[in-house]
Amino acid sequence: MANSEFDWPAKSSVLGTRVNRVDGPDKVTGRAKYTFDINRPGMLYARMIRSPHPHARVVSVDLSSATRMPGVKSVLMVRDFSSAPNNRVMFQGDEIAAVAADTEEHAIDAARSVKIEYEVLPHLTIVNKALDGTAPPVFTGGNVRDGRPAQAGDLTAGFAAAAKVVEGTYSTQVITHTCMESHGTVCEWAGDRLTAWISTQGISGARENFASALGIPQANVRVLCQYMGGGFGSKALSVGAEGLMCAKLAKAANAPVKLMLDRKEEHLATGNRPSAASKIKAGVSADGIITAFDAQSWGTGGAGATADFPLPYLYQVANRSRSHKNVFTNTGQQRPMRAPGHPQGSFNTEIIMDELADQINMDPVEFRIKNLPPQAPNAMWRAYLQEGAAEFGWNKRHATGDKTPGPIKTGMGVSVNTWGGGGRGPSPAHCEITSDGVVIMRLGTQDLGTGTRTLVAVITADALGLRPAQVRPEIGDTAFGVSALSGGSTTAASISPGIRVAAVKALDALKEKVAPALGVDAASLVAAGGRIQVENDPSKGMTWADACKHIGPQAITAEGDWRAGMSSTTTSGAQFAEVTVDIETGIVKVTRVLVLQDCGLVVSRLTAESQCYGGVIGSLNFALFEDRILDRNTGQMLNPNMEWYLLAGMSDIPRIDVRIKDQPERGVIGLGEPPTVSTAAAIALAVRNATGVTMRSLPLTPAKVLGAMRQGRA
Amino acid sequence: MKAFAYVNPTNEKDAIAALSPQLEQAMPLGGGQDLLARMKDYVTQPDRIVNVKSALESTVTPSGGGLRIGAAMKMVDVAEHAEIRRMYPAIGAAAIEVGTPQIRNQATVGGNLNQRPRCWYYRNEEFVCFKKGGDRCFSPAGENQFHAILGGGPSFIVHPSSLAVPMLAYGATFRLAGPKGERLVPAADYFTLPRQSLRMENVLAPDELLTHVILPAPGNVKSGHYEVRYKASHDWPIAFATVLISFNGSTVQSAKVVMGAVAPIPWRSPEAEQALVGKTITEETAAAAAEAAIRNARPLSQNAYKVDVAKTAVKRAILRAAGIQTA
Repeated sequence: MANSEFDWPAKSSVLGTRVNRVDGPDKVTGRAKYTFDINRPGMLYARMIRSPHPHARVVSVDLSSATRMPGVKSVLMVRDFSSAPNNRVMFQGDEIAAVAADTEEHAIDAARSVKIEYEVLPHLTIVNKALDGTAPPVFTGGNVRDGRPAQAGDLTAGFAAAAKVVEGTYSTQVITHTCMESHGTVCEWAGDRLTAWISTQGISGARENFASALGIPQANVRVLCQYMGGGFGSKALSVGAEGLMCAKLAKAANAPVKLMLDRKEEHLATGNRPSAASKIKAGVSADGIITAFDAQSWGTGGAGATADFPLPYLYQVANRSRSHKNVFTNTGQQRPMRAPGHPQGSFNTEIIMDELADQINMDPVEFRIKNLPPQAPNAMWRAYLQEGAAEFGWNKRHATGDKTPGPIKTGMGVSVNTWGGGGRGPSPAHCEITSDGVVIMRLGTQDLGTGTRTLVAVITADALGLRPAQVRPEIGDTAFGVSALSGGSTTAASISPGIRVAAVKALDALKEKVAPALGVDAASLVAAGGRIQVENDPSKGMTWADACKHIGPQAITAEGDWRAGMSSTTTSGAQFAEVTVDIETGIVKVTRVLVLQDCGLVVSRLTAESQCYGGVIGSLNFALFEDRILDRNTGQMLNPNMEWYLLAGMSDIPRIDVRIKDQPERGVIGLGEPPTVSTAAAIALAVRNATGVTMRSLPLTPAKVLGAMRQGRA
Repeated sequence: MKAFAYVNPTNEKDAIAALSPQLEQAMPLGGGQDLLARMKDYVTQPDRIVNVKSALESTVTPSGGGLRIGAAMKMVDVAEHAEIRRMYPAIGAAAIEVGTPQIRNQATVGGNLNQRPRCWYYRNEEFVCFKKGGDRCFSPAGENQFHAILGGGPSFIVHPSSLAVPMLAYGATFRLAGPKGERLVPAADYFTLPRQSLRMENVLAPDELLTHVILPAPGNVKSGHYEVRYKASHDWPIAFATVLISFNGSTVQSAKVVMGAVAPIPWRSPEAEQALVGKTITEETAAAAAEAAIRNARPLSQNAYKVDVAKTAVKRAILRAAGIQTA
């Protein structure tokens, strides 16, 4: 592509620097208003009414008691349950009705007063029972669905060429998103116009979703999400049953309504990462090439949802076969969860990688390098593995099984990742410069907690020669224009080009205003260090404030949009983990994690590093702690809370070193997903290296670690 | 939660008068770290809450060579109390491991000792188990990875109190006050197995308050406390142990071994104590005593690993008591 004035600058005093979050003070002081904080005059509080049973027929629903409860203004069914097949609830937490009342307490009391008669039906929550045919037939069309098989090369020849063959069964568990802020909405109607404050990863999508479901024009819907406490994919695809019920209750009650879910509802009904398991047989040649990879995989994404994942993950295998089964269970449906499929694919692939490497006495880093795709700007694993190994002290790694005396064993593991993270339009941005020197950058994106406002301020400030604090980012409102959902690590790459284009155009307009006063050609001017000045003669110039005085009463405005060439796609990453394992208690402690990760042009270095920290911690939770535990008899979730649904606290988090590998020439690439792919496998492999036993199933509970130790060495 | 009346008495007598002989009709409120969560989850639905924070003492006073601790004392104050830490280091060690700083700033001694089981069947409204007046324990045929390996049946909860274990080891007595006056109950008699009383975990009547913990003079004992937790931050122990040893030179003259989170009550192990007497503490003698401590363990379908964990906790507590470096 030809050079353009919109191209990212070769040098910048702002882009890629360490800029504190521009909204940090608002967040820590409570000035930042999340959906939960929105209160409207005369607002009601709503509560969902849900099935306590994993599978049941709703025989009758009597809402009359609820309508007579104190403070109740409206009670509505989610749908008509009067006839088959709409009268079945398919998981614990399945939505049935909702109630709005004057206080939260009244809403809860009223919800509990609704009389629902159920015919409890046989349920299926245990995947193995579905696979071995001992489960009741629950799902029309079968409990188990074949996924798309994949074949390449010649498996028989591949195994014939193998010096060694390894077989094993690997699995990862269902985990839930567990956002700090629960799902929720505040809805307010004015006639047939709806304003909705909603904790969502996509305000544009939410507008479309509300409008189509409620039968009103999108033009009548305004959606706001100024701040949100995490989504991880669970708030990406729709406003959910609770969002629609909030709007319907507000309409019926003719009053604003707030409906926020509680933690139990979050665990049961707002998505999860599906389980993923595989039975793998793989062969390796004496010189370290994977000759064959034969996998049968399965997983559950809940009631009628699939559970696919890439297998083998990332490595090149010429001869391979893969079959897959999606198992439907009476549990809440999966939703995209940070790097959908990749953490599962990574774990199911990476464990056998070390087993194969051990078979031929090859170092795991060297073995990986032999089986990775050829190096390219979007395939940098070889370089990162070598560089990471040197920094991490990989040469101090002992062979499988720590031989030092005492119960505390130390080990290291490594794992690689990839993700797309590309950008796309339309993603318009609008820039205003007013005569008082204020710069507004306005766009209809949202910040799911990654620091989007800071990114907006950094790019704008860079283009205008200002400091990020001098820019006023305005986001989180559909009145600001359309934008893509914040999912799949696409936000930064989608919005960054338009921001720069709008800022550069606005600056061009400003240059035209001040050039006559300076007696120079506008094209000779640049913005730098808070001044507008002639590029090679800074004395011919003026301060930003003085320059803006030339703007006049009508602010400068300029529009930008996504442009090809300013963003790119596909990242590479590698992670190293070190653990200690207490072999007398089964307790695993992660002591160090090293992250090597690229994301193209780094816009905001602190938020990029922050994505890596968060990704590592999330994956550590996946490795050690998180597990949706269902009672095997009733199918009900036993830990729908944050007491027994375990998440790392401060003392469980290791030292994390992040090395962002700059690739400025590639333009902006998203970074949300990739850092959470690899850590779990690296930890499990570090445990294997420490103990000498292979951990093939997550999470790595003390019970599993001690059980594996008891069963024998790798 | 269900609507309730709130009573705020300023002395012990008024607080007791506000209670009720009927189970869970009126509940004393200390730091609320257990009760409020149960109320929010509809596990316990009292008609009346009696705030006992102003009615009960929250201080430590010397008593017959030992200490007398008010039940309203906060966990943070126990953990930081110089005399408690000097005279009963295992109690200080247990207190500092409880919950989080926020929880320790609220939670009280009385609440820690009398909190209800953390069993996930008990804590979920859907399961009407023995502890809620139901007719079964769901754990033996269900998910029991954190349940009892000793003393279980017909309920398999583990006792949730961290303080109860070292207090039992140090020979604490609890002062209970009720409408008929006060009684002093040794910790060893206070906690009750499910086969003795299925619904509740101790002898405290619904209209009684635990007002004080009375600790005798500790004597010349060395203590070791060891807790094994899945997470380092904010988690319940898988198993833990307090060990007190009085030495004659380097030989064990007598020992107390009490385990926590393994049984429906703080579990004293005479077998382990016996195994230690007359021995010099080494890795081997400690391991042998730890083996004795879990010899009678009867794990359920998913908690056999707890036997290993409990054994490790006892062994390491013994080694700590002997001043031997351990993991």
